[in-house]
Amino acid sequence: MDIFNSLMQGFATVLTPFNIWMAVIGCFFGTIVGILPGLGPSATIAMLIPLTFGMNATPAMIMMCAIYYGAMYGGSTTSILLNVPGESASVATTIDGYQMARQGRGGAALGISAIGSFVAGILGTIGLMLICVPLAKFALKFGPAEFFSLIVMGLLTIVYVGGKSISKSLMSGVIGMALGTIGIDVIQGAPRFVYDLPELMDGVSFITVVMGIFGIGEVLVSAEERMKITPIHVKFKDLWPTVAEVWQSKWAILRGTAIGFFMGALPGAGATISSFVAYAVEKGVAKNPERFGKGAIEGVAAPESANNACTSGAMVHLLALGIPGSGATAVMLGALMLYGLKPGPMMFHTNPDFVWALIASMFVGNVILIVMNLPMIPFFAMGLRIPYRYLYPGILLICIIGAYSLSSSIYDVWVMLIFGVIGYFMKKFDIPGAPMGIALILGPMLEYNLYRALALSRGDLTVFFTRPISATLLAIAAIMTILFSSKTIRVKRKMLEEVEE
Amino acid sequence: MKKGDITFSVIGLGLSLWLILESQKFDYASKFGIGPGFFPFWLGIILAAFSLFRFIISLKQKYDAEDLKPRLPGWGSLGRIGLIMLIMAGFALVMNGLGFILTVFLFVSIILFILEGDSILKSIFYGVMFSAAVFLVFRYWLEVDLPRGLLGI
Repeated sequence: MDIFNSLMQGFATVLTPFNIWMAVIGCFFGTIVGILPGLGPSATIAMLIPLTFGMNATPAMIMMCAIYYGAMYGGSTTSILLNVPGESASVATTIDGYQMARQGRGGAALGISAIGSFVAGILGTIGLMLICVPLAKFALKFGPAEFFSLIVMGLLTIVYVGGKSISKSLMSGVIGMALGTIGIDVIQGAPRFVYDLPELMDGVSFITVVMGIFGIGEVLVSAEERMKITPIHVKFKDLWPTVAEVWQSKWAILRGTAIGFFMGALPGAGATISSFVAYAVEKGVAKNPERFGKGAIEGVAAPESANNACTSGAMVHLLALGIPGSGATAVMLGALMLYGLKPGPMMFHTNPDFVWALIASMFVGNVILIVMNLPMIPFFAMGLRIPYRYLYPGILLICIIGAYSLSSSIYDVWVMLIFGVIGYFMKKFDIPGAPMGIALILGPMLEYNLYRALALSRGDLTVFFTRPISATLLAIAAIMTILFSSKTIRVKRKMLEEVEE
Repeated sequence: MKKGDITFSVIGLGLSLWLILESQKFDYASKFGIGPGFFPFWLGIILAAFSLFRFIISLKQKYDAEDLKPRLPGWGSLGRIGLIMLIMAGFALVMNGLGFILTVFLFVSIILFILEGDSILKSIFYGVMFSAAVFLVFRYWLEVDLPRGLLGI
């Protein structure tokens, strides 16, 4: 009953014209971003953060959340019509989605993707609501030692599951943490690695780094060659899948939702992997698995449901624990901090209006997404005909505006440009950027909790192993390390990479 | 890719050395436990270990033909990337003096004319359109405080 009342209060906050408008804008931008190959939700949320500075935290976060799940939905459009995934999370959709489009069933594929995304979004948000509250209550028992172990476990999961090469992901993560040590240190409050540059006192801005690596870096990779893409034409009247097709996809949608939500709730597992797992499960349980790869509608419904449900799962640990599990939620964590909010279990007590408004907005946003997007699919598909040479100067301009607006200083633009070049080379050499970005934001938290845990235990290192929750989290991290070092897992990762490529 | 992996591990080793050396300037321990030098020092050690591991793996690992293909594009494409970055650096240098809206016009026109081979009239047209869009959306609607420059625009 408590949850229900809180949710109703959340709806009362969300259902104002301005907040609904923010959700509409977020869904719109998110869908466009998802459609454009080369610009992910992390970069877009980061770019738009400075534009929300004049706003209250609630509408700003409503918009950012809408961008996140809008991008997950939008990624399917290019996967189906062009065989070019707009997001890595939509790679699995290309397998059957593009085949359906080639057979003249592109509309049905887009329609089932929208329906699956909607169902997954709503069910995922219900799951988020039900899990978040008990998890946040449980997390109130956490002290610095538990938070330290939780961050270690989260970082390792992101590294192990996220990148293609574990050693490169680990290096990327450590470099991110090293970047996080620049600025005023969390222990004595003295400048560290600042070299008399006043701009470095506040440290390296996480938002600027994300815009550089994921925004500029991705655009440079795409702008390398002159891209020429021709989408398959879709008519409005062909958009709806038949009742039989929807009925045929019902279990695929539900299974995809469950897989996506639970994998999203694991730090680092992410939308890409969950969509592949959902696809593999669907193929595994199918009576005629040979249909997969040749335009099976369940092959579109399952991964699309999974990647949308994953966004709700990823919000679980952001809201309940204050630990991001993906690049996009890391950016949202950065945004929450900029607004003076402290994500984590206490937020349910200190800012319940905000948390419940955000959860309620996810219900509203999913409705907006399906109402807005189904009729607009032909319009979005038309947008794909805009030559990339007119798109990328626009994306670069938004990045510059976003970086400049952070502190009305040219310094942030330079930092972004430098990380843009670094991001380009990282992309070219398969060095994952997400561990670096997430570690940059988690590094100072890790150091602070390490310092507090050791200060409280008078320097006794065993505190991390003698406290049961902390010991359990570290044990999970250790088990993961052993598992991911094993040959079997490495072989499976290699197979997954090959499918992805 | 092999060269890329070796280069990355060498950069990692360099960074780790820098971290270890620079962390010596700060206290390793404080009155209540760890000091500001503790975390960067251990990050340096961990990075050195991973970089060394990657370096050895890169030398030992058997790469197939696909892996050994050069990852960087040809000089033509690299030139495009370099030019885009130069134009963006130019943007950052002149935007305070010229003002944001005028710089957007130059930025878009130059990219389209020099890099994309559009005609001068078409480039100018798109430059004006982008400037107008930035003005309307960011300065007028969202009221973002963008530099106005000497001309006040």
